[in-house]
Amino acid sequence: MSVFVIIYYFLLLGASCLAAYFNKRSAFLLLFSLTLVSFILGIVGGVSALRMVAIAAGLMALAAMVSYAFREFLIAIASVNMAKELRTAPLTAAFGMFVIFTVAIAGIFAPWIAPFGEAEVITAAFAPADETMLLGADQLGRDIFSRLVFGARNTVALALAGTVLAFLLGALAGLLAATTGGWFDQLLARSSDVIMSIPSLIFALLMLSIFGGELANDTTSFWLLSGFAVVTGMLVVTAMAGKSLIGWLIGLAILVGVAVLFSGFMLAIFNPSEIILILVVAVIYSPRVFRLTRAVAGNVVVMDYIEAAKLRGEKTWYLIRREILPNSTAPLVAEFGLEFCFVFLLIAGLSFLGLGIQPPTADWGSMVRENATLVSFGEITPLIPAAAIALLTVAVNFVVDWMLYRSSGLKV
Amino acid sequence: MIKKKDVLLKIRDLKIQGYSDETWVDIIKGVDLTLHRGEVMGLIGESGAGKSTIGAACMGYARDGTRIVDSSIEFDGMELTTATEADRRMLRGSRIAYVAQSAAASFNPAHKIIDQHTEAPLQYRLKKRLEAQEDAMELYEKLRLPNPQEIGFRYPHQVSGGQLQRAMTAMAMSCRPDLIIFDEPTTALDVTTQIEVLAAIRDIVDEYNTAAIYITHDLAVVAQMADTIKVLLKGEEVEEAPTKEMLDNPQEDYTKSLWAVRSFESPQRHRPTDGTPPLISVKNVDASYTGGEKVLDDVSFDIYEGMTVAVVGESGSGKSTTARVITGLLPPSKGEVLFKGEPFPQDYRSRTKDQLRQCQMIYQMADTALNPKVRISEIIGRPAAFYSGLKGVALKNRVDELLDLIELEPSQYYNRYPPELSGGQKQRIGIARALAAEPTFIVCDEVTSALDQLVAEGILRLLDRLQNELNLAYMFITHDLATVRSIADEVVVMQHGKVVEQGPKDDMFTPPHHPYTDLLLSSVPEMDPDWLTTLLEERGVDNVGDAATARIDPNDPKVSGTNA
Repeated sequence: MSVFVIIYYFLLLGASCLAAYFNKRSAFLLLFSLTLVSFILGIVGGVSALRMVAIAAGLMALAAMVSYAFREFLIAIASVNMAKELRTAPLTAAFGMFVIFTVAIAGIFAPWIAPFGEAEVITAAFAPADETMLLGADQLGRDIFSRLVFGARNTVALALAGTVLAFLLGALAGLLAATTGGWFDQLLARSSDVIMSIPSLIFALLMLSIFGGELANDTTSFWLLSGFAVVTGMLVVTAMAGKSLIGWLIGLAILVGVAVLFSGFMLAIFNPSEIILILVVAVIYSPRVFRLTRAVAGNVVVMDYIEAAKLRGEKTWYLIRREILPNSTAPLVAEFGLEFCFVFLLIAGLSFLGLGIQPPTADWGSMVRENATLVSFGEITPLIPAAAIALLTVAVNFVVDWMLYRSSGLKV
Repeated sequence: MIKKKDVLLKIRDLKIQGYSDETWVDIIKGVDLTLHRGEVMGLIGESGAGKSTIGAACMGYARDGTRIVDSSIEFDGMELTTATEADRRMLRGSRIAYVAQSAAASFNPAHKIIDQHTEAPLQYRLKKRLEAQEDAMELYEKLRLPNPQEIGFRYPHQVSGGQLQRAMTAMAMSCRPDLIIFDEPTTALDVTTQIEVLAAIRDIVDEYNTAAIYITHDLAVVAQMADTIKVLLKGEEVEEAPTKEMLDNPQEDYTKSLWAVRSFESPQRHRPTDGTPPLISVKNVDASYTGGEKVLDDVSFDIYEGMTVAVVGESGSGKSTTARVITGLLPPSKGEVLFKGEPFPQDYRSRTKDQLRQCQMIYQMADTALNPKVRISEIIGRPAAFYSGLKGVALKNRVDELLDLIELEPSQYYNRYPPELSGGQKQRIGIARALAAEPTFIVCDEVTSALDQLVAEGILRLLDRLQNELNLAYMFITHDLATVRSIADEVVVMQHGKVVEQGPKDDMFTPPHHPYTDLLLSSVPEMDPDWLTTLLEERGVDNVGDAATARIDPNDPKVSGTNA
């Protein structure tokens, strides 16, 4: 019997007794059942099994403490109203926010955080971890930690851009369809049905193989992106201009200008193949957003205050912006979180298949694929980027769960 | 009237707390209640007085988010607060039954009425299925439901609201309980159907000597039903006395104020005689919803500047549809609407900003009429900014002025959101929004029917004052004749989409009436506790509600000759 085992059981039994004494039923049940399980584990697996349990419990406690401290930190720095909301956040949501915060920091400050460049070959292939390389090297001898940090930037930025575009198109179309109704609504709804009826991964593969090769150059991606922006903007112009011809003309003129500026800006950040990827994602995911928005807005549109605003003579754009949107933000924000996860996984999946982000750009999905051979040697290196994907997805979902709970509750 | 018998239900020092803002707040603050066998007690009070909460507590039940604390509820010698949940469940349905406000929402639409009726007796093994069904038919007959043999085999949506409410009373009776709790059973019904239900409930409760707790906010109704009346205010008892005594001689100020509510009456105004055209003139309007039957049939009436025209009728008589035609939400299929002698575009989308401004609307449900996510300042400020182009300080001053006008303190309400306000305050905001447009004509669609009587009276007084100050014309849609009596100058009575009678208020309330008007008028409960008995004697038990409507003789000279 090692000292570790003695301390292990002593702590567990002591804690269980204390919990029982102070009538903390659930804590007692948890601690004591853990004690009982440990007896069996100890007999079967020996000291090492118990050590594993202790480490897992320690990690959980650490995560809980980090979440708790992070939530308190947010409450301390937030405004009064925000702090009140944050107080209702469960620890899981705080943990999610912490992970998102960390990934965001890593992504934004990647060049300063990463010890090596993202495509820099520094050592032999598959070199093990040492003092300079926290997680070892990949199949070309590049530092995995540095690539993880850069990957956070690339993958997350792409997924975010794709989701935002999908939301702009889907939400605007949904709001407009719900407010206008009639043939316009039917047209949008049926075309979204068509897109949704094609499996998303296959559709993505199809579109990427069309636009992926030679067409992935500056000019094509610029025009495609501008086209997308114009279509999205047309929805806004429709809602704002109504029946006035001059309104339409002015709106279209401004729209084209904005679309060109926007495309130029996006091209400065992303390379052409990434822009194609973003567009594919936006086209695939906007029908889902459209569906949800239309349903949510449909419930709002029938309210008397909308009728009052219509009778006042308000334009569709005012109805959408001031009356309907504030009443549908909660489910939309929650949906945004969820869709972000799906988009993120889709991009990671496409990269794994070799169609997403092109090497040598670091990306979590392709990192899994590149190092996949190592799994057969019992190494966990390829699992690290996979774990990063899982962690971020779970974290976003934790936060979304909290928001869904809040929006479904009886909160005002 | 009080039957001095043994005590059935004894509640001592009832305290119920509700959970809000992370603390437990007292909702019911120590109410005592003693109910004898066969006694009917009326609980009255405003909304939020805790009537329904007490009703539920009589079954030993606390709604979600509430709890009963150190009180004693003794039902027939059994202490409910300490009893196990299983014991309490044994009482519910078999010895204590509950009749909810909305029968339509309380019946399961997927099962036949009689199957739901027989559920309790079968569950408690009191009767076999066939026996229970026969008993149900007998009860249906006693409650004067049409086709008692057959009606139970329909689904809830296949019978009318009044019938469903009676079927629910029959269901409550299925195990011959000792106590029935009626939670506002007639509030959602028209006056004409209300009588049927009231008469049915009263007879059956009498016949089986069942004790009952009758919860309502309508004093006239409770006067017909109850042996004793208990008045509640904010979770506390105000007073309790036998019905007769309570009506003749209320002790507390609050009770007196409740009794005095219906005293408000604005003086009758008359049409101008100098030949100015009416402000709004509805001319031979027919209307229908897409593909449906005609909802309005040749409706014509005039509304003059500064006057109130009340449109009355049962639900489904086309009152609100008329309002939709005037506001332009539903273009008529025939006929037209004139504004100051000029034709008004039929669709609101083709009206000019100024035409839209002239005609505003106040809604029945202030909850759905105000956007919950928009501040009061913007709700009221938007029409002012939209029509008059006010900005900045001028806009803020205008909003303050409007808030003053509706008797709300501007600084206190300026930045708040609608869900933070009470029902009456919300309705006032709705009025302010209509006023912000500086209209000449306002459609008031059942504006007081969702409010308590005291609050409703405040709103009526406010509307009347505003009318005098701003020379507004109102079209006042209501099914409540007491409201008509207090605020209207002219009355239009509608039935099945037709105007059956119209004229100045004073004429309308003096006989002879059109038979339908007469039916409506005589169906309004009065404070006299013998009113229902007298009415039933006059009309005969089978001649109330739908039956009475059907009996109107189409050849009566008043029926054919009044469509003026």
